[in-house]
Formats: sequence, structure tokens, C-alpha cells
Amino acid sequence: MTRRMKGALVLAVLAIVVAAGSAFAASTATPGVTKSTIKIGGTFPLTGPAALYSVIPKAENAYFQYVNARGGVNGRKINFKVYDDGYNPANTVPLAKKLVEQDKVFAVYGSLGTAPTLATRDYLNKAKVPQVLVATGDSYWGAQYKRYPWTIGFQPDYPGESRVYGEFIKSKVPQAKIGVLMQDDAYGQNYYNGLVQGLGAAKSKIVDVEKYDATQTDVSQQVVKLKAAGANVFALFALPTQTITALVVATKVGWHPVTFINNVSSSPTFMAIAQKSGADVTNDITATYVNDVWNNPDTASAKLYKTILAKYDKGADPLDANNVYGVASAWTFVKALSMAGKNPTRASLMNAFTHLNAKNPFLYPGVSLATTPTERFPIDQQILEQYKSGGWHPFGRIFSKAR
Amino acid sequence: MRLRRATAASVAVTVVVAAVIALLPLTLSNYHRATGASVAVFFVAILALNIVTGYTGQISIGHGAFMAVGGYTTAILTHDHGWSDLPTLPAAAIVGFVAGVIVGLPALRFHGVYLALTTFAVALAVPQLAKNYPNFTGGTEGLALPTHSGLWLYEVGWAVAGVMFVIAWFLLRGRTGRAFRAVRDSEVAAASSGVTLAVYKTVAFGISAAMAGVAGSVYVLVNNFVNPDVFGLTLSLYILIGAVVGGLGSLWGVLVGAAFIQLLPIALTTSHISSSQSVPVIFGAVVIGVMALLPLGAANLLRVALHFGSQSRQSSDIHLGTEGR
Repeated sequence: MTRRMKGALVLAVLAIVVAAGSAFAASTATPGVTKSTIKIGGTFPLTGPAALYSVIPKAENAYFQYVNARGGVNGRKINFKVYDDGYNPANTVPLAKKLVEQDKVFAVYGSLGTAPTLATRDYLNKAKVPQVLVATGDSYWGAQYKRYPWTIGFQPDYPGESRVYGEFIKSKVPQAKIGVLMQDDAYGQNYYNGLVQGLGAAKSKIVDVEKYDATQTDVSQQVVKLKAAGANVFALFALPTQTITALVVATKVGWHPVTFINNVSSSPTFMAIAQKSGADVTNDITATYVNDVWNNPDTASAKLYKTILAKYDKGADPLDANNVYGVASAWTFVKALSMAGKNPTRASLMNAFTHLNAKNPFLYPGVSLATTPTERFPIDQQILEQYKSGGWHPFGRIFSKAR
Repeated sequence: MRLRRATAASVAVTVVVAAVIALLPLTLSNYHRATGASVAVFFVAILALNIVTGYTGQISIGHGAFMAVGGYTTAILTHDHGWSDLPTLPAAAIVGFVAGVIVGLPALRFHGVYLALTTFAVALAVPQLAKNYPNFTGGTEGLALPTHSGLWLYEVGWAVAGVMFVIAWFLLRGRTGRAFRAVRDSEVAAASSGVTLAVYKTVAFGISAAMAGVAGSVYVLVNNFVNPDVFGLTLSLYILIGAVVGGLGSLWGVLVGAAFIQLLPIALTTSHISSSQSVPVIFGAVVIGVMALLPLGAANLLRVALHFGSQSRQSSDIHLGTEGR
């Protein structure tokens, strides 16, 4: 009996130790804001199937460090907390709660992924915590603002991008037989819907659609099937790892379609990896909205970008468009924060995010950054690019989603 | 005499643990209460797996799927049919039971690794099914549910865990539990002793899945969100890891296993950005370490500690599970 009691004590102590560390801080001031600091946080896939995006929070943090070194925003230094959710929404929910309730962040910033954002959107909006510049291009964030006023995206929406691919195929590839590889979730579906819209009556030219699960990285079978279906156009709505695999497998099985790669996987770094692994990526097409610093290394933006990475994100690859994305996103956050007033509140931050009108030096020249309370897509312009002689080259005119 | 003393002691330990769990939220923040609620979820899930794998010897890598079945039952009933939260829990148990019996049928013919693969297939298939019927399940966009306070979640989670624990206790200590263990140890011997294999295997799967369904239900309430990715394969694997770390065939280890799989990853993830890449490695290393040092799970450590110095050393029974002899 007493020995059993000892056992119970052991368990009790364990339970208490495990639960220890709770914070009691409660104040009436805006959470996360002090005289000299402002605390924000986000969730990112530092590991798991989307881990190639793990450079983004580092680049964002580099820009914040750069701003902090210059005195911060209205005298406040930005403290950016980054948690790894492995691209799994079941992890995102407790981590978002931790950011809000334990870390007491001012805002959730930059969190990556469609499913993770969907999973936390309800909670954050009920708690009235800004969920800003989410790193996902689904149309929900800009379109459903009446229901979710505390959520706002950043990049152009996916359907707008793939609609342009559809229109391009319709007018430029007359004998097209389209094969689609898409992730089997809301992200893939958003891209697919846009493509179908862009094709219009030509949507019957889609000869095969192959899907893969987000946790699955080998897509060889799907690629072989698309080839077997006789497709001569390849629309890739997939994450970076799966995209690289698909490009390599396509070349290896002797399939050379006209290839469209969704923006989120077309970083020059990923293209270089695919090429090194034997993929023929010449003439592939994608769309971009970030500054193509690799084509214009002598511009002020490109130089600043490289300096920031070199100083605050050592080892980062300046060729990786995800780093440009991170810096551009962080720039936008800093801009909105400075617009939110000397003593920012969560409401004044959202107000700033819905009144953006700025030239972001890290976006493609001519692409504007603008929102109104009823038009909540911060970026809605892009330009098509083609891969030639080891790099992306923009062509044609900047297009907007023209909703 | 001895048996009765042991039972009394077990009851005492249970009461103390229950009291600690009941009083714990007083010292916890809202966030930690919600985290405590998800420990309760995994407590129930591991308890469920333990019935079918630890006690009956039928390996399942598919318990995440049963959680999905229960979770979606709750989500759909509350989101689309105006039910309030709690009445959906028994519904989830019933739906889970039916799913468990269906999956349990192959268990009549398959053994060991073949059965494990069958349940593995179920774990893969169920989230896929949810994706394919978006009008019913919300598809990949998922369904959002009402939020609750951390205290509410903690209380509901552990009340459910308590009920499930008592059910498991009564089930496993009596005739049924004996029959389950007999099936595990030798099917031939069990059958020749009058245990109807078909009935007990299916019942074990059914009850286990019903419990997992309830766990999934509470999981959905804790996360106030459901989509197919929530119930991915990793969930099933984590439950299995929790059961093995805690100790298969033991009710005591369940608590340790649940805390292990729920709290360790969060603690590792939220420590610091630079170490994030190594979280899976550290987690894996800890699992291997536990397996190397405590091959019978944490429960066995407790058992060894309790019996240490006891003059009435029994013949060492190192078979899986000696609880409730």
C-alpha cells in the first residue's frame, strides 16, 4: 500500500513538473507591446514535406534584425517568435494558442500554409488577434474578410495565377493536351479551379489530373501516368519537393511537355536542384511578383537585399526567391506597423493593413502593394517568366487578376 | 487476500492520481489547460489501442482512423445538424464501434504483420475518404467548430478519460480481459479453453475503436477544427509510440505515454528556432533510448520500483502485461 502510494507520488510529481511553467502575466495594455519591444510570432514548416520553405522565416527575421539595428519601428524592436508546425494543421492549432496565450504576441505574422491557416483562422478571429500576411495564396483570405476581418494574406491569389496559365495555353498552345499534377487539398484545388477558369471552353483539353497527398513526396507514378495519357502540357500545382521530383522524373521517362510551375515552387534555387538532378527545365513557365534581383544585381533593392541576407541570415542563398519573398513580406509588416501609430493596437494594425498603398522595393518593379477595407489582396499583379540559360526571364506585361 | 490488497492499493493510487489531475487546472494557465485536455485525448486513444494491441495482441497502426471517424461524427453533427458538443460523444462511440467491428473482421484471418498492414491501409484510406466527400466533411477546407475555454476542455477531456479508464479497468480485470490475454498469448490455447476467437477479437476491435472515436471527438473539440490532415498517418504512429513508451498491456503506462507524445514534441518545437530542424531527431532518439532502457515501457519502471525490496519476489513474469493478475 505505501509503496503504491509512493508510486502515486512519483506520478503526481511528474504531472506537476510537466505542467509547470505557466505564466500569470495579465495586463490591460495591448498584448505583446512594450515601450521598447513588439512581440510577434508565426508557424512555419521548418521540418516535414514543405520544409524547403523553412528559409522564409529566417529571411523575415533578418529584415526585422536590420530594422531593429536602425532603431526599430517607432522606437520598438521587433521580436519574432518562430514555431515549427511541420505543415500539419493539428500541430498549428496548439502552437497558435501558445503564441497568443503564453507568448502573448501582438499579432500572428506570416504563418505558412493553407491548411494550417484554415485551422487557426477561426480561433484567431474570435480572439481578435491579427493573423496577417499569411504565406499562402488561397483566395479565402482576401475574399472572406467579412467573416474573418482579422485575417489578411500577402501574395497574389493562386486561382488568379493559374487562370493566366489557362489563358496562355488557350491562346498559345493550340494542340494542347493538358496533364495536371496537383496536391490533394485546398491549395491544389485553388490552383486547379483557376486553370479551368482560364481555359474556359478549352477545359476539355485537360486529359488527365493526378493528385498526391501533402505528406507524400514521391510523385513518379503520377508523372508516368500523365505521360501515358498523352499530355503535351504539364501543369504543376505542387510543393517544391514534389515539383522537383516531378520535373526530374518527366525528363527521365523521356517526357518533354510545355511545363507550367506554380509560383510557390519556382524559386531559381529549386530549378537549379532539378537541373542538377537531370531535369530539362529550359522553356518552363511560371509567374512571379517578387523582385527578380538575380536579373538586376545592380539595383538598390538587389544590393540592400544581399546586404541584409549577408549580415543577418548567414548562409542564406540569395538566389532563392523564398528569401526575397521573406524580406518583401517583412518589409510589408514593418510598413503597416509604422502606419499603425505611435502606440499600435491590434485594431490599428488591421486598419493599417487595409489601407496599404506603397511601393515595396522587394516586389517586382511595377507591382503595387495596395489594399482598401473592401479589397484585401495586398498584391494582385504578376508577370510571366520563362526559364532560359539558367535563370527566369520575365516576358509580356504585368497582369492583375481582374476580378 | 493478496489479490484484494493489491486491488485496494491500485484503487488508492487511482484516487490519488485522479485527485492530482482534478486539482491541477487550478495552477494552470488557459493555454496549459487546453494542452492538458489534449493529453487527455491521447490518454484515451492510447488506452483504446492498448485494449486491442496490448491486451489482445492484435497490432493496429490505424487508430488515427478511428479517431477520425469519431472526430468527424462530432464535427458534422455540431456543424451541420445543430447538435451541442457533448451529446455527440456517445454518437462518436457508436460510430467508432461499428467502424472497429468492420476493421476487426479481417483480424479473424490475418495475424501479426498482415493485420498491421491492414490497419495501416485503413489509416491511409480514411482521411482520403474525407477528402472525397467535401459536401459531407468540408473536404480539405475542413470544418471550424465553436471554441471553448481551456478549463472546459480540460474538465471534459479528463472526465471522459476517467470514464474510459473505469470502463477499461472493469473490462480487462474480469472474464473478458482474461479472454483477451489468452487470445494474445496463444490463440490455440485460448480456443481450446473455450474462448471464441471470432467474438473476442471483433469485440476487442469494436470497443477499442469506440474509445478511439471518443478520443477523436474530444480532439476535434480541443482543436475546434477538423480536416483530413489532422488525422494523418503520423497521428496513428504517435498513438502507437505512446502505447509502447508507456508500456503495452498496462493501464498505468497510458498516462506516461500520453504525456510523452503530446508534451515532448511541443516542448522541443517551442524551445528555439535554430534547433527546430533537430526536433524529429531528438524525439526519435528519446524513443529509441526509452526502448533500450525500458523495453517494457514506463509502466514497467513503476512496477519495478514498487516491487523493489519486496521479500515476496515472485517468479519473474516478463511477458507483456502483468497488471491485474
